[in-house]
Amino acid sequence: MAKVGVILVRGYLALLLLFLYLPITVMIVMAFNQSALYQMPFVFDLKWFAALQDNQKLLDAGFNTVMIALINTVIATTLGTLAALAFARYSFRGKTLLQLLLFPPITIPWLIIGNSMLVMFYWIYLGRGLHAMLLGHVALSLPYVIIVVGARFRSFGTTLEEAAATLGASPWQAFWRITVPIMAPGMVAAALFAFAVSFDQFVISYFLAAPGVTTLPVEIYTAIRKGYTPEINAISTVIIVVSMGLMLLVSRFYRFGGER
Amino acid sequence: MIVSRRGLFRTPAIALAALAGLWAALGAGSPASAAGELHVLNWQGYGTDEAWALKVFEERTGLKVIHDYFNSEQEMLTKLRTSPGTYDVVLINNTFTEQAAKEGLIEPIDPSKISNFADLTPQLRDSPHFNIGGKLYGIAWLWGVTSFAYNTEVIKDRPDSIEVLWDPKYAGHVGWRDDAVESVQMAALATGQDMNNPADLDKVKEKLHALKPQIKTFWSSEDEWNKHLAAHDYDIAVYWSGSAARSKKAFHLPVDFVVPKEGAIGWYDGLSIAANAPNPEGAHKFIDFMVSPEFYVKWDTDVGAPASANAKANAQLPADAMNRAVLGDPEVVKRLQWMAPMTDEQRQKYQEIWDEAKTSFAQ
Amino acid sequence: MRRTVRQRLTVLGLTAPAYLWLTVAIFLPLSAMFCFSFLSALPLPGRSVSFTLDNYRTIFSKQLYLINTKRSLLLGLHVTLGCIAIGYPAALALAKYVRGRWREAVFLLIVLPFWSNGLVRTFSWTMVLRKDALLDWFVRLFVPDAPSLDLLFSYPAILIGLIHAYVPYMILTCYVSLQAIDDSLIEAARSLGASAFTAFRRIILPLSLPGLVAGTILIFVPVIGSFMEPEILGGKEAIMLGPIIERQFTASANWPLGAALSFVLLAIVLAIFAATWPFLRPHLRDA
Repeated sequence: MAKVGVILVRGYLALLLLFLYLPITVMIVMAFNQSALYQMPFVFDLKWFAALQDNQKLLDAGFNTVMIALINTVIATTLGTLAALAFARYSFRGKTLLQLLLFPPITIPWLIIGNSMLVMFYWIYLGRGLHAMLLGHVALSLPYVIIVVGARFRSFGTTLEEAAATLGASPWQAFWRITVPIMAPGMVAAALFAFAVSFDQFVISYFLAAPGVTTLPVEIYTAIRKGYTPEINAISTVIIVVSMGLMLLVSRFYRFGGER
Repeated sequence: MIVSRRGLFRTPAIALAALAGLWAALGAGSPASAAGELHVLNWQGYGTDEAWALKVFEERTGLKVIHDYFNSEQEMLTKLRTSPGTYDVVLINNTFTEQAAKEGLIEPIDPSKISNFADLTPQLRDSPHFNIGGKLYGIAWLWGVTSFAYNTEVIKDRPDSIEVLWDPKYAGHVGWRDDAVESVQMAALATGQDMNNPADLDKVKEKLHALKPQIKTFWSSEDEWNKHLAAHDYDIAVYWSGSAARSKKAFHLPVDFVVPKEGAIGWYDGLSIAANAPNPEGAHKFIDFMVSPEFYVKWDTDVGAPASANAKANAQLPADAMNRAVLGDPEVVKRLQWMAPMTDEQRQKYQEIWDEAKTSFAQ
Repeated sequence: MRRTVRQRLTVLGLTAPAYLWLTVAIFLPLSAMFCFSFLSALPLPGRSVSFTLDNYRTIFSKQLYLINTKRSLLLGLHVTLGCIAIGYPAALALAKYVRGRWREAVFLLIVLPFWSNGLVRTFSWTMVLRKDALLDWFVRLFVPDAPSLDLLFSYPAILIGLIHAYVPYMILTCYVSLQAIDDSLIEAARSLGASAFTAFRRIILPLSLPGLVAGTILIFVPVIGSFMEPEILGGKEAIMLGPIIERQFTASANWPLGAALSFVLLAIVLAIFAATWPFLRPHLRDA
């Protein structure tokens, strides 16, 4: 590739990352700033991190959030990939309807869905709590998973699998040795979406949380209402650092960029 | 072939089985209601969850207080409707008590169990909004004023008229709360009308639309108000009396609160007992503690709070406390118009008027 | 015969779990909401309600709702276009022009912001965009007496906040599609004399369309109903359909109207999709 082209590409990606990380950098820097009202000048202070250690409520909320997000990711990715597989490889009556039904969960404002879930779960005696939250989170993640994995399938086409069949592979072999590796990056992307949807979800969690048990986004939202200090920044920083560590660990075993 | 179908189902089935186990473990994490507990539903940071107070209460009664919060009155009603038998004490603004009682969401209170009952200001204590059908459904707890506050370092002369919010001198420096009822009522006050029943709504609409050049941004919580003022997003803004006291005392911001000559909005909150409360005895004890001077004086002095409905408690405040200095002045109280309950239709009408005004701001 | 039955059962088995879950968690509650939208008021004990089309009539006749629907749709359009303009080139660069270690690193960095809390991120933007804050400070490094950009509490601020929040979605979906394109196709085209631009226009772009479409759906649709970012960053210009719907539930107890507004929003989205489907169909290969 031409030298100019390389510089252009690298420059563009660098600018993009700058844009993406601008508010995050601000967020992290403010976690180390002394002022409770986010005022300048900057005075280095670790007191917000220290306060975090004693804030059992925030830590519990953090733990709940991660657990729910992980379980949500496994369930949503599995169920969603199966459905995407059906859409991509089979044609059947009612397929379009099912695909259209993916729109309501992402179109209708979460506030409405949250309110209606609260009322409906009350009517059918499901109630509020972590189980209700999980029910809601998976439901919200499913459209993302199905759409993303579906896009992956469509871009790939069926030629490889058809070729395998002509060469004598059984459907089983074709599935494990061709389809799954093709799906994999799509599934990983979908899993990332599902995790993000759950991890950052506060509207549904807010409605369905049982009194006294909360998740991090709910805590942050109510703290923002009541009066939040940079303790919020501190825990957000901790989460980013831990996630970065986790991602680096996972990337040892899985190439995020895909094979090619 | 049968093999491929089974294989297709096997992996997710195993995953789900493993997760079901995890799920059960998670479900076990939800706390069940136990004896020796009291459940309170309130705004966050609004007195009932003061850590030192809960400790004192637990030492005296052995009851551990667990809080749940709401961010709007409608949410409070929704929570009461969808969680019967969960809450004991709930904070309800006087304009909603009647509605809650008629819907059967709250139960009558026995005033004989409230030792501080006689000390409460009669006008609030015996309010028809709390005494419904001959029964008492709310104990007057706090009252306050919605008006405006300003940055004393930027604005040197103390304003005395509500028109200052429409003063072109402060264009782009005014803060407002995004609340339909409050906005309509402020405009009614500014046009000299009865805020609970404005005769000329067109004048109100005009006044609201005239805010377009004035407002810089909206705030929706006390904390946001503080942060905006500190950053000079605005220098004068609609605000609540109790919160202004807190901003000055706890956050050391240069604010002063004004009740202008045209008047201001008066409101009061009551503590009620939810229907089918698990612990009505404990609820009565908690309410009694909340209206006591012992709790109130320490709360207002340390943190800052709206005025107490307990006249005796108010009298025990230091003389320079805002609640005593500004709100203790009978002249000021005379200028107040008190919020009355509204029908849902009225609320919806106001919401429409306000949404239209906001739309005009953005055009 | 056997094959068709087996196929039907397979399809059922594949789609049933996901859709059963969606039914219980979403479709059932939303159906109740849909019924509410035809009521005159929230059905509470002691109150009589009647079936009516008034809610929908109000939406289509009052300027208030028409103007704000337009505002929300425009917001969706602007944000989606912004995300495509910024995100597609990035995905292309990542999929085709960056290799190995770098690609992995950049990919991880793009995905990491997912793990920061959306609200805190949006509030951090206020610190950047506010008058005389970070952005102004940066501009003044180059032009010392520049007036304040004063971006906060305006429509551009909302755009910046939303594009920033949603562009990783576009990058991810486009990347997943682009990376599936066989390099040998492009090589073949080039060796047959096609310019880089032609190869892009006739091979890469069409094959990556599914990713673009997926990204568009996942961005446009939530954005038109959003209310957090507009309210925090928009100041006076925050008024849109999202905040209006929110108020029906949190302030004026008008669930029927709020529900009606939401379903109108859904209908618009489905209509847009239906209108564009004939143009997209040939490119989105399906069984």
